[in-house]
Amino acid sequence: MRKKIIVLCGMALMLLPGTHEVFAQNVGRASGITIRGTVSDVDGEPLVGATIRIANSKIVSLGTITDMDGKYSMSVPSESTVLEFSFVGFANQTLRVGARRILNVVLKTDNQLLDEVVVTGYQTISKERATGAFSKVSGEKLQEQRLNSLSTLLEGRVAGYANGLVRGTTTMNGVTNPLYVIDGFPVESTRYTSTGSLVENIPDLNMEDIESITVLKDAAAASIYGARAANGVVVIVTKKASKGKVEVSFSSTFTFSPYSFYKDRLTSSADVIDLEKEWAEKNPNLQGSNAVSYANNLLENRVYTNQGITAILNAYAGNTTQEEMNSTLNTLSAKGYNYYDDVKKYTKTNPFYQQYNLSIGKASEKNNFKVSLTYKNNQYEDKYSDDSSFGLNITNSTDITDWLRLDVGTYTKYTNATTQTYDPFSPGYTYMPYDGLVDAQGNPYTSTAESRYSEDIVNKINSYGLYSMDITPLDEIGRNLGKEKNFLNRSFVKLNIKLADWLKYEAMFQYEYGVDRYNKLSDKESYSVRSKVNGLATASADGEVTYNLPYGDINYERRQYSSAYNFRQQLNFNKTFAEKHDLAMIFGSEIRSTKLEYKDETQYGYDREMLTYTPIDAASLLTIYDGLMEGYFYSSDLSYQRENVDRFVSFYGNAAYTYDDKYTASGSLRWDRSNLWGTDSKYQNKPIWSVGASWNINKEDFFHVDWVNMLKLRLSYGIGGNIAKNAAPYLTAYYSTNSNVGGTQGAVSSRPNPELSWEKTATTNVGFDFSLFKNRLNGSVEYYDKQGSDLLANANGVPTEGFGYSTYEINNGEMSNRGVELTLSGDLIRTKDFLWNVNLMYAYNKNKVTYVNVEAPVYYLQLDYPSSYPRVGTPYNSIYGYKWAGLNEKGLPQVYDENGEKTTTEPTSLDAIYDLGSTVPSHTGSLGSSLQYKDWQMSFMLIYQLGHKIRNTDLPYLQSDYNNSMDEYMTSIGAVNKDIKNRWRTAGDEAHTDVPAVIFAESSDYYYGSYSVYSYADINVLDASNIRLSNISLSYRLPQTFCKKIFLKNARFQFNVENLYTFAFEKKAKYLLGGYNSPNYVWGLYLNF
Amino acid sequence: MKTKILTSTLWVFFIGISVLFSSCDGFLGIMPKGSKTPSTLADYEAFIRDEYTNQRTDITQAILLLNDKFETASNYNYYPLRKANYFWDESANRIELNNSDETTYYNGYAAISSCNLIIENAASATEATDAERNELIAQAKVIRTVVYFVLANYYADTYDEATAATKLSVPLIESADLNASYTQVSIQNIYDYMLNNLEEALPYLPHEGATVLHPTIGAAYAMYARIYLEMGNYTLALQNANEALTENSALYDWTAYYETNKTQIEDATSYTVTTSPMGIDNVENYYFRHGSNYYATSESNIQVDRVTRFEAGDARMAARWKLKTVGADTYYASTLRGLFNYGGLTTTEVYLIKAECLAREGEYADAMDVLNAVRQKRILPDVYQPLSASTEEQAMEYIRRTKDNELIFSIVPFADARRFNKETKYTRTLSKVVDGTTYTLTPTSHLWTMPFPMGATSNPGNGTLTQNVDK
Repeated sequence: MRKKIIVLCGMALMLLPGTHEVFAQNVGRASGITIRGTVSDVDGEPLVGATIRIANSKIVSLGTITDMDGKYSMSVPSESTVLEFSFVGFANQTLRVGARRILNVVLKTDNQLLDEVVVTGYQTISKERATGAFSKVSGEKLQEQRLNSLSTLLEGRVAGYANGLVRGTTTMNGVTNPLYVIDGFPVESTRYTSTGSLVENIPDLNMEDIESITVLKDAAAASIYGARAANGVVVIVTKKASKGKVEVSFSSTFTFSPYSFYKDRLTSSADVIDLEKEWAEKNPNLQGSNAVSYANNLLENRVYTNQGITAILNAYAGNTTQEEMNSTLNTLSAKGYNYYDDVKKYTKTNPFYQQYNLSIGKASEKNNFKVSLTYKNNQYEDKYSDDSSFGLNITNSTDITDWLRLDVGTYTKYTNATTQTYDPFSPGYTYMPYDGLVDAQGNPYTSTAESRYSEDIVNKINSYGLYSMDITPLDEIGRNLGKEKNFLNRSFVKLNIKLADWLKYEAMFQYEYGVDRYNKLSDKESYSVRSKVNGLATASADGEVTYNLPYGDINYERRQYSSAYNFRQQLNFNKTFAEKHDLAMIFGSEIRSTKLEYKDETQYGYDREMLTYTPIDAASLLTIYDGLMEGYFYSSDLSYQRENVDRFVSFYGNAAYTYDDKYTASGSLRWDRSNLWGTDSKYQNKPIWSVGASWNINKEDFFHVDWVNMLKLRLSYGIGGNIAKNAAPYLTAYYSTNSNVGGTQGAVSSRPNPELSWEKTATTNVGFDFSLFKNRLNGSVEYYDKQGSDLLANANGVPTEGFGYSTYEINNGEMSNRGVELTLSGDLIRTKDFLWNVNLMYAYNKNKVTYVNVEAPVYYLQLDYPSSYPRVGTPYNSIYGYKWAGLNEKGLPQVYDENGEKTTTEPTSLDAIYDLGSTVPSHTGSLGSSLQYKDWQMSFMLIYQLGHKIRNTDLPYLQSDYNNSMDEYMTSIGAVNKDIKNRWRTAGDEAHTDVPAVIFAESSDYYYGSYSVYSYADINVLDASNIRLSNISLSYRLPQTFCKKIFLKNARFQFNVENLYTFAFEKKAKYLLGGYNSPNYVWGLYLNF
Repeated sequence: MKTKILTSTLWVFFIGISVLFSSCDGFLGIMPKGSKTPSTLADYEAFIRDEYTNQRTDITQAILLLNDKFETASNYNYYPLRKANYFWDESANRIELNNSDETTYYNGYAAISSCNLIIENAASATEATDAERNELIAQAKVIRTVVYFVLANYYADTYDEATAATKLSVPLIESADLNASYTQVSIQNIYDYMLNNLEEALPYLPHEGATVLHPTIGAAYAMYARIYLEMGNYTLALQNANEALTENSALYDWTAYYETNKTQIEDATSYTVTTSPMGIDNVENYYFRHGSNYYATSESNIQVDRVTRFEAGDARMAARWKLKTVGADTYYASTLRGLFNYGGLTTTEVYLIKAECLAREGEYADAMDVLNAVRQKRILPDVYQPLSASTEEQAMEYIRRTKDNELIFSIVPFADARRFNKETKYTRTLSKVVDGTTYTLTPTSHLWTMPFPMGATSNPGNGTLTQNVDK
């Protein structure tokens, strides 16, 4: 591990301004004694590029660096000379020359100094000279946790990174996620969903290959990424082999997560039976003489299909006695959470994830080769859902001559997944807690057509002889499995030419190709096929049935191809003038193209043996309006296609000037041009730029504070861009096939918007970096102010101009994000055997919309789509709702309307709707600690998110659903939050409960908007603040002596618990925050040979 | 050696950069697929086929005011505006209740905007002859007229020669540009505008459209007849009705439909649906336009007492609705499914316009012949008796009964009712008793004019919008 870092740092150093070339030129100039020797680490591995200089000398040139074997030689003026040996990541060592002529030095690592370089993806710069806000996570830190996904790696490790966003939300309609860069190349993993929208995914790589992750947060750090810089950039560097013997490492992890479903929050069978009894008692139609015919009518029409109400109605209708009814109800009532228990027993399994990683590396003087292989196998909670993937990464770097280096690499990933498409929690019929998946005899339960459809429809199914509409969940779960096979390859070649000691030319090219294949073969026995075929069956007037869709298997195939290439050439200029003036510059150009093609296709009457299908007459299927089971055929049932191409051409450059290692000024400039429609050439030429400055205070002569090892002040200002992929400056229309009259139909998708441009976010950043008490306490403090302007914001369309209630997007939005970030890392105890390290991170972010010219045209749009209609002066991600006014004398929920009066109906004025807080936490951070004693290490990480809100969707309320039999909205009886037991029952209850009365659809007080009144009230917006124990790990390293015996370099066992406990500040919010999900238990084995 | 490498690499670099610059436009010229900027005539013609935006007419509140549909309690409890119109509540402030969008207005103006877009751009569209360009423009003008007629008869007072020039109607907008200006013109202006559109369109319209969504000459004459009837100009209404019937006079035979589907229709317990014959293939269509839905669906259910206003033996009624009791509700449930020409123009309407014009001119026998031509295709043969009338009132009574039933769910019964409300001898007061309470709707009630939705008045854009009704 350490060796890899050493070599990497050495290589990184070679890319730095000045350094070894400068030294090299001066070797031998001073006359005197010649000293030779080797510099190595504690394992005896030579350190390449270590610096040797005369201590206390301000003249940098009086020194040298070690060669590829760690050897050096230099002349010193006298025997009294004190030499200082230094190497990035290692503690400096000073030695007096004395009588010796050979000085072999062993340097010890200094973990605290590992952060000495930052990699921006375009260049590697020394942290000392950086002016921007960079946060780096080293691979070593990541050891504490399971390396499973990129998103979980950054959580809690980078101040200001929370929930996939860097420093808050900076856009309203553009891309929100940061840009990911792997080994210098931006990698966007954009995919189409099956409904045609674009989603941005986190790119794939072998997680164990990660050497470090650097997050670029401010303009000085990120502006070089131009039009995609505003959301921050995540730069990933992968490991290289270290020189010497072949290195082999192997690891495996097993993760176990018990299946959990938090049923205790729900009403049990007994509670539901009570509700069903109450329904009957309160139903005015069941009183009096019409009760019998009414009960019969409800049964005939299957208005209620649940067992409880069916039993009650049968008694009212005279089909059974009161006693029979009571005994049925009692039996049902005693069933507890039968349905959830059956789901667990018959359809779920405990998720189990396996991961294996093998890597082999070999590095010589002129060549560095590494191959890594990751295999994952995951079993998910659905019995039939699992996946496995295989990732192979090969890189090689060769020095062809001393001025030409060639790097090649390729990463291939293959994924094979099976997804269960039938969900027992939405089985195709309504279920109650007392229902089950098996009957009394233990045979699979079947929901019959008779139990769900009115007599009229059942007669139709029988008389026309349609396919059965029965559903047997335990048969369905194994049918129609989705099979996914994905392939991805990413290959690059880089050429590095050293034109002079101070000038390098780099050309690099990466090509990416991915194929995602998805196939779902729907079995003709499955309910989905039977109902689809029945739905489109028609009957002639004389009763003859025609199955317009052939009965047979249905084969659905989906293909998605992604291809991308990136070509960059760059000149790197590094030179130190007159020993104190250090200048580093880069100039380059880049082209990038990404293409995404999506196509799906469905074949009917498919024969999986013969690979044949039955041609269908789609044109006439599209015009079937009288399907016996009221089915429809859509053109997307045949085929669906999409294509997206993004292209960029960019020119960029940056320069940094450092005086005497104390003062640095930097600037960057970039032009981006793109084919994205939202880019009239006038706006395309708007450059994106930044300026920055830093001051290494501790290097000042006047600064004499012993306990301060480093103190640095940074200032930066600049612009970051962002894009929206679907905006256009011209009138655009989309076209599709008209299925009613044929031909092509077209609709306006956007009206002309000639002023469309990049979104612009200007960031001011002030930062302090410090290292105190012999580097035992390190940290940084940042203040930032991000001012977004020209943001693509919604503007109200004028109804009279024909916009309907739709909005259009113009670049007039403004939004600010201000924040403070604090990172502290301290070694509380640092002895030979004992190391105790504590990390603390804190980030504060305040987001505010400062200008937008839009207002929700309808009140419910403000409630349901708040981010489309942000209000000036409030956070962009606000939740909106009404002010709660308690229950009225009938137990109906009330809120205050715009005049401050209590109402039981939904207030429709925007003045009655308030900002109730943001869903984005304002305080985020983590507390982590690791304790190392000899071969044992223990660590934990707490992640906290404070000051945000969440809307409670788990309410003790029976909602309304559209009832097909009744053709109207009706109260749906079923399992809800069990707090419903504390509901309003009699007059006066309103004084001590906020849980509304249950009002059934048959009541004259029934108003299906009551749910909106209740659910949008501020009492149901909860404080989402929480602290999560995200990771605990305990690891043990086998003693070196023992390892040697079994031919191991080292071996480590590790046990982790992920997400062990969530503390929610508000109890009700815990479920919504996933606080009841079961933890993951991880066993890991890590071996190095 | 090194200098050579240096120079040659720099050359490569600069050549590379300049190649990038020069090929930039080609590289970036790639347009994403899936949408485009319309340029050819076919690109504009495609808007005509966009049924969702341009080919539907929602008149929910008018249907509710006439009590022509069965409305569920849960619905009118949820939508107070529906309740106000359904229960003829004159005290309700419908301006406040119509507090957001309303499809009648929003979709109406969206269709007008599409027509304006075609009219503004088709003349310069590529890949077409001038004749084809003129035809598309003419068709857009007819559609624009159909839409304005609905808006003018929904949100403003009915046409009255005496006051038309002074009373305001609806906004007249003629451009599809962002921030286009408009004027809320007088009732006279809007009628003149509609007539003018038809006049400009007529020379270029085809006898047969590319599809039934493309208005024809017949559609323009039928629309003329509808407008002139509304204006009380019976001579011109009759003249244009005759012109329209020259183009198409076919009537669909509902008695035959009944005969074909007799088993299903007469089975009182089966609610299996049959396909609507009122869709795009119906022989009566001059121009097809949907009601509120643009996709295949069922019709609204109707109330039991509404059914009593149909003639005995009406095959069209029997094929469309069947008595149903579910829970505590009893109503006539829709049994057709498919597409329905509620918003367009059909021969039935033109026949009935012609009948009314003849009756108004005292030609009672001719009027009844025209009416009977329609009835013969509607009333089952064993019940059918030809009607005759000896007075205008009697003729009008018969014609109106048939017209209200035949054109139910279209704007015509509502526009007719408003028209008759001005004429003392034909005014009607609607009344009903629900749960012991009597409700009435007088001919002079302000409820006959719908308020503009608040979304339109609060965001008027480049013009001013004044309500034509107080509440």
